[in-house]
Amino acid sequence: MSALTTFIKSLVITAVIVLVGGGLFLYSGLYPMGADVPHNRLTYWLLETLRERSVARAASDIKLPGDLNAPERLLAGGADYNDMCAGCHLKPGKTQSDFTLGLYPAPPNLTLAGDKHGHEHADNTENDDPAIKRQFWIIKHGIKASGMPAWGPGHDDERIWNMVAFLQRLPRLTAEQYQILTARSNSSVEHGH
Amino acid sequence: MKTKRFTPIIALAALGIALSAQAHDPKEHMKDAEKPDCAAMKNMDHSKMDMNDPVMQAMMKQCMNDMHHNDSEKDQAQADHQDNEKSSGEQHSEHQH
Repeated sequence: MSALTTFIKSLVITAVIVLVGGGLFLYSGLYPMGADVPHNRLTYWLLETLRERSVARAASDIKLPGDLNAPERLLAGGADYNDMCAGCHLKPGKTQSDFTLGLYPAPPNLTLAGDKHGHEHADNTENDDPAIKRQFWIIKHGIKASGMPAWGPGHDDERIWNMVAFLQRLPRLTAEQYQILTARSNSSVEHGH
Repeated sequence: MKTKRFTPIIALAALGIALSAQAHDPKEHMKDAEKPDCAAMKNMDHSKMDMNDPVMQAMMKQCMNDMHHNDSEKDQAQADHQDNEKSSGEQHSEHQH
């Protein structure tokens, strides 16, 4: 009986110490919040795991359209990618921008295949449904405190799927192909909605 | 009383219209839009081009549209030019009489 009481007492004391210590650290202002100082490994792992698990769960019910390979989708999505995403996620022939240098976490370079742009979970290989669903969800809802906005409020699902369709082809495009596909022509405007 | 009942409905409708107006319209970008550099397609290795590849199909579609658009612009300009010539000719003949 006394052993159990001692155990419970220790548990309570430990919990109080952790709570008080955590509170003191929180209010001390000691944690560096500047985007130019990276998180420590533990914080990074915690935040990344939280983000990836949350996105995977939320995106699991999304249904993929059957015509993601349609050329019309590439033209409409390419023009939108160039206007809305290329500044942070780059285009063929570019390796950095002010945004990739200054944002933390750095936005992934989407001109590289999933396994090369530093996001272990973002394997955007062809016919990889979870990766495609993940891209759709992230474009539509954004990511808190990362610089990635939610495009859903101003763009319908079809338009977001067009961008997702373009992303599947982006890592294999040359600079010339990218220029032709992303030029905003009348056809890209017609298929934008 | 009636006004009070309809106020939230009117407010919601107005909010809906305001939010839809904020949606990002592709036409906004047309003014600064870059034209597709279709001439670059001529320099590409045609033996490696796969016509079943959606990228290739999209590029062809883009450049065909661009060509048709340019042609129709040219036709329009030519038609306008001819109309102008015709009307100036008519005016000229009227002045002669």
